[in-house]
Amino acid sequence: MRYNNSRTLALFYCQNVPGAGERERIGLEKKYGLSIRFFPIACSGRLEPVHLLSALENFADAAYVITCPQGMCRYFEGNLRAIKRVRRTQDIIAGIGLERERVGIVTGLKEDPKTLAEHAEEIFDKTLQMGRSPVLDKGEANYDHCATEAH
Amino acid sequence: MPEKYVIHTTTAPNRFKAVSRSGIIAWEEGCLRCAVCVKERCVYDVYYKRKLDPRQMIDSIDNLCMNCLRCVQGCPKELITKSLNPEYKEMGDDFFTPEIISKLWSQAETGKIPVSGAGYPGPFSGPGFDSMWTDMSEIVRPTRDGIHGREYISTAIDLGRTIKSLRFDDSGALLAETPLLVDIPLPILLKVPPFGAISDKTLLGWAMAAKRLGTLLALKIDDVEKLPDQFRPWLVPVLEEDLTDPAIIPVGVRIVEIPWSSRFEKSAKIIKDTFPSMLVCVNIAMMDGMEEKAVSVADAGLDIIHLELGRYSEKEPETYDPRRVKDAIRSVHMKLVETNIRDEVTLVASGGFAMAEHVAKGMICGADAVMAEFQLLIGLQCRMCRRCATGLSCPVDIQDASAKWVAARVVNLFGAWHNQLIELMGAMGIRDARRLRGEVGRAMFFEDLDKVAFGSLGSAGEGFELE
Ligand code: SF4
Repeated sequence: MRYNNSRTLALFYCQNVPGAGERERIGLEKKYGLSIRFFPIACSGRLEPVHLLSALENFADAAYVITCPQGMCRYFEGNLRAIKRVRRTQDIIAGIGLERERVGIVTGLKEDPKTLAEHAEEIFDKTLQMGRSPVLDKGEANYDHCATEAH
Repeated sequence: MPEKYVIHTTTAPNRFKAVSRSGIIAWEEGCLRCAVCVKERCVYDVYYKRKLDPRQMIDSIDNLCMNCLRCVQGCPKELITKSLNPEYKEMGDDFFTPEIISKLWSQAETGKIPVSGAGYPGPFSGPGFDSMWTDMSEIVRPTRDGIHGREYISTAIDLGRTIKSLRFDDSGALLAETPLLVDIPLPILLKVPPFGAISDKTLLGWAMAAKRLGTLLALKIDDVEKLPDQFRPWLVPVLEEDLTDPAIIPVGVRIVEIPWSSRFEKSAKIIKDTFPSMLVCVNIAMMDGMEEKAVSVADAGLDIIHLELGRYSEKEPETYDPRRVKDAIRSVHMKLVETNIRDEVTLVASGGFAMAEHVAKGMICGADAVMAEFQLLIGLQCRMCRRCATGLSCPVDIQDASAKWVAARVVNLFGAWHNQLIELMGAMGIRDARRLRGEVGRAMFFEDLDKVAFGSLGSAGEGFELE
């Protein structure tokens, strides 16, 4: 469900981002309600354009990825690959007339790592400044073609 | 011999995709475009059946993957990795671990005993029931034709008092009144959990499951009115305060639960005077003094003691420790044995039973039956995230599930537990669940073995592992 006059942000984040535990996530869900949908991932390199595009297609005005700092990926190149994939996704959405900044990536800094809460606040502020996504102008999330149907 | 008790199960598919234990990380960049890619050789066609559930962002490759790791080992550029899913790791708590939760999900879906593969790689001992091993010496002669074969292993138990001895008059007629008993075919009662995204549909589903299983569902007295009258015989209304007005007791129920207090006998008398055939269960919290309270309940001639692990509280989650249950049951049971009144009262324990084996272990420690509560939620795909307890919406919308689906899932879950219980009892050489109670000769306790084997060398605590 989307709130009218509000924005929905799909936030994918690497589990190694500081303050990304379940307790902190529940605290953030209380703060942002359904305006931010949190998706923890084992490694940002796991994300593919289809994840971001699917979020934009179904419920999100913007889809962002938070990675661990460069050089600190436990899979060595995960965050580097995530950067490339986000760029590719930006090209795809630009090709259909959407603003590039509806998809983005934030890389943590090794010397000054920000918490998930700090990242979420900054990215959500950015999302609020965007208009509502024209893809979702019918107003409600669309799960009609979901892989799993609720019984 | 009573009719054989069989729980009929039918697959009740998940409403949401299950959170998978691990995820595939497959990198396209650097792909050599081999003539035959390892992904094409996947025997489960995981990569070709791929779908994404955008509600939860769950990728079907993670759910369908059987962890054979052929793709991980076979890719010449090592572009495929498997990693633990952070969402899975965060599920539940120390007691309801992600492994236990996912096994309960699969039992509720299929009604089948989960297969965990060959061998046991875990630690030798652990806290709570993990420090207790059942004696499976009869496993060399398992039930000849399977657990549902000719040999009948009964899981039925009686709730209520039994008299110490029978006395007859000169004509051979029984002198004492035979006490009332409620017999249930499964030593597991159901109990509405203290939190959860529970709607009237959920309650109805649980009541339907209790009726189908032939067991009982304990619920707040106010919730009884939400259910059709036909379910009354399978409901146990729970009072949270002393009873003063018997009119609040719903007609048609067979057992009522009252809290232990200095006035519990008065409440019980009001019930017995108004409904002579009703059994009274007294709730005693697992805390200091529970042994004496249990004795006072038995002395008062009441029928059932419900030994309950304290309620989970969001404010003090650390006070909720289901691993205490094993010792609490043993202590209360032994006190009743020493006081020579053990057989006069039924002891039901709740709060620390996450797996079927815990039921048997709880009974060996001295309980006549156990109550399942959070399992009722987990069977409905609950992740034990406790969002509902903080006012957030449930990630799996349990409140919207139909009563029929709820009932089917719970019947499946306890159908699988029943089968495991029969397996266990067969392997222990026990044919009647009533005989399991207090049968410590069929179990070994880590603490005791440790004392006997290494006592002279000093002691190692629970969970101790050799390096
Ligand atoms: S999944 Fe979470 S929110 Fe839903 S019932 Fe279970 S604990 Fe509550």
